[in-house]
Amino acid sequence: MNNCFGCNTCKSADKPLEEFIANLPMETSHHRVESQSTKCNFGLQGVCCRLCSNGPCRITPDAPRGICGANADTIVTRNFLRAVAAGSGCYIHVVENTALNLKNTALVKGKIKGERALERLCSIFGITSGDLYEKAEKVADAVLSDLYKPEYVKMELVEKLSYKPRFDKWKELGILPGGAKSEVFKGVVKCSTNLNSDPVDMLIDCLRLGISTGLYGLVLTNLLNDVLLGEPELRTAPVGLRVIDPDYINIMITGHQHSMFVDLQERLIQPDAVAKAKAAGAKGFKLVGCTCVGQDLQLRGSHYKEVFNGHAGNNYTSEAILATGAIDAVLSEFNCTLPGIEPICEELKIKQICLDSVAKKANAEIMEFDFAKREQQSNEIIDKIVGAYILRRGKINVDFSNADKEWKPLIDMLVGAYNSIHQDVNLNLMPEHGNDHTLTGVSEVSLKEFLGGKWKPLIDLIVAGDIKGIAGVVGCSNLTAGGHDVLSVELTKELIAKDILVLTAGCSSGGIENCGLMTPEAAKLAGPKLRAVCEKLGIPPVLNFGPCLAIGRLEIVATEIAEELGVDLPQLPLVLSAAQWLEEQALADGAYGLALGLPLHLGLPPFITGSKVAVKVLTEDMKQLTGGQVIINPDAKESADILEKIIMEKRSALNI
Amino acid sequence: MKRIMIDYMKCDGCKNCTAACMQAHREEQGTIYDLDLTDPKNESRNHILSDGRGGYRPIFCRHCDLPECVMSCMSGALSKDSVTGVVSYDVNKCGSCFMCVMNCPYGVLKPDTLTRTKVIKCDFCMEKGGEPSCVKNCPKKAIWVEEVQA
Ligand code: SF4
Ligand code: SF4
Ligand code: SF4
Ligand code: SF4
Repeated sequence: MNNCFGCNTCKSADKPLEEFIANLPMETSHHRVESQSTKCNFGLQGVCCRLCSNGPCRITPDAPRGICGANADTIVTRNFLRAVAAGSGCYIHVVENTALNLKNTALVKGKIKGERALERLCSIFGITSGDLYEKAEKVADAVLSDLYKPEYVKMELVEKLSYKPRFDKWKELGILPGGAKSEVFKGVVKCSTNLNSDPVDMLIDCLRLGISTGLYGLVLTNLLNDVLLGEPELRTAPVGLRVIDPDYINIMITGHQHSMFVDLQERLIQPDAVAKAKAAGAKGFKLVGCTCVGQDLQLRGSHYKEVFNGHAGNNYTSEAILATGAIDAVLSEFNCTLPGIEPICEELKIKQICLDSVAKKANAEIMEFDFAKREQQSNEIIDKIVGAYILRRGKINVDFSNADKEWKPLIDMLVGAYNSIHQDVNLNLMPEHGNDHTLTGVSEVSLKEFLGGKWKPLIDLIVAGDIKGIAGVVGCSNLTAGGHDVLSVELTKELIAKDILVLTAGCSSGGIENCGLMTPEAAKLAGPKLRAVCEKLGIPPVLNFGPCLAIGRLEIVATEIAEELGVDLPQLPLVLSAAQWLEEQALADGAYGLALGLPLHLGLPPFITGSKVAVKVLTEDMKQLTGGQVIINPDAKESADILEKIIMEKRSALNI
Repeated sequence: MKRIMIDYMKCDGCKNCTAACMQAHREEQGTIYDLDLTDPKNESRNHILSDGRGGYRPIFCRHCDLPECVMSCMSGALSKDSVTGVVSYDVNKCGSCFMCVMNCPYGVLKPDTLTRTKVIKCDFCMEKGGEPSCVKNCPKKAIWVEEVQA
């Protein structure tokens, strides 16, 4: 087949996928990169202001101020704070729903899969009394009550969740956050027209939003999910388009709110549900992972092997996954659900159901997740998906052998007639794509257990120089910065070749794993020292922590290592890269990284370069404030060199 | 010879051509991200004016067949290349009289903002290989290059 739809698809680090997409008979985001290649240069620099009806105002030598008088610094930082506040709001929405789902589960004495995770949270929060359910409820309430505090009341869990030297630093800088939702509100208010015009003040607010986003949106969402869904366990699992099994009714899930799938996951394997699938001609149901919620399922996949078939790919792989024709429904509940999937779903008759109205897709049916009605909703979803399957590729497969003799010929004829006119959707599978033994299930707990219950072995390797340092390659995937996952994958290769261990989280993980860097064989791509370590332990040089939420886990690892060494986070030979950051959420994550005092590499600037003040504060002054620093560089090799240099500086400061 | 053609109906005033021209003529190398948009040293050679009725008037040098600027320049700083058709400017010969500025029928030329000693003149991006940066960066395809009879 070569009815190429535009032939101008962008590059991908994943060459087989690139070819697959280039040959698709339908348009994807990869086809649209070219036609969007003329960017507004004022937008790129962040100096286009659309806050009031005098605008849009742009900065040029003739016009160094907007009509209101705002200069480039004010315009840029107002735009930036807006973006960080919106990104924070997204993550806070996720943790709020997760906490509510935990609370509701506790109230109905539902299944608590991660009792140990619950105990861990109780000990962090100082909750000592009550049975399992009472404790779970108290944990959820503690989180919710913090989220709902006003902006002028500091959140209580911040101190309990953070590393002491960091907490003290934040206190000193005056950036301890008030109620997380109110902080978003304040950020949005502050950057409205003719309010704040102080670039530094607004950048400081970004740090405060970073802390609330990181501790609640990231760290706590993971830990609450651990309680509800079970903790990650190390194992190998398949990744890539190969995980799609055409014999089953396949449900692709996209978003970030794993806790909304608890009931459905269980229902899909009940005999009566499986019988419905069988009657339609399939063997049963399979969930196909996509985007971060897919990574989260993958991470915990050992708890539901039967229904989950593996992680197929990241946000910008989702169209290709659908284009295989073997996905029968998409369940979406949050971001990274590209609007571009809609025409594909329409063309291939794929049912779209949306479980959270914040992410309502134009042609999706909305079925807002309602905990009280979850069982009924699961049943409805199953019926709708079976219906979609029958329309797409179903055969009537009911056993009529006991039918009345007189009616049997007629029934046979009707079934035969239906089956002969029914036209299946074309399948265009890619059964070889990806690999079947990517290491997954890595978390701060499972990794530590793997190391024998303590971080010392890892620290020893770092001290000995066998592992030069650690780089977190996190965040999104985008189609710029060299193409789909190009910079993330190239940078990762450069880093491991320099004996730097890479930890990943987010859609970048999806690309890196499909390119094979998380299989044990990838050890041969590592530098000699890291390679020896990996081969001895049988692990890949890139460890996948799963969804972007798991950036929180990665930072727990960093904190625990720092604690064991008795140093503060900025002293560690640890760097972060959100090489192909995409969304506002990534900027809020990035602000957390900066608050933690970590160097943060970005492949593309976050629309700030039009402001000299913003650039200086983020790339230089931040080192004095929190210890963090932004590094912007779109070149993999150069970026790896810069990150290596930082790691070496930190090593020598630690005398190792 | 080549000329930049304009369909003002298509222009939406985004000024991408302006930023592209600034980028093409900056002194220090760099990316569009670090182009100093406030520095008059990076002046653009094209101007996007509003027509006052919601539309735009993109003003680009016509590299005229009979260039008034060349004809009015007494010091020979402006000349029309008979092969390429490009009207080019030699700052070293310029006497800063600004006769060219007064005589350009399209109002394209202007004295430089910082020193008012030289003329800001479109060079058809000859140093960038003669492919106008403004044209390459116009998302609306409101400007394009056409071969015209010299
Ligand atoms: S707020 Fe100021 S800079 Fe922004 S559009 Fe209005 S006048 Fe222009
Ligand atoms: S300003 Fe320079 S280029 Fe223009 S007419 Fe005078 S001398 Fe010639
Ligand atoms: S052709 Fe080059 S010099 Fe002339 S206006 Fe366009 S970008 Fe500027
Ligand atoms: S780039 Fe094109 S659309 Fe934008 S102002 Fe220039 S001519 Fe007009």
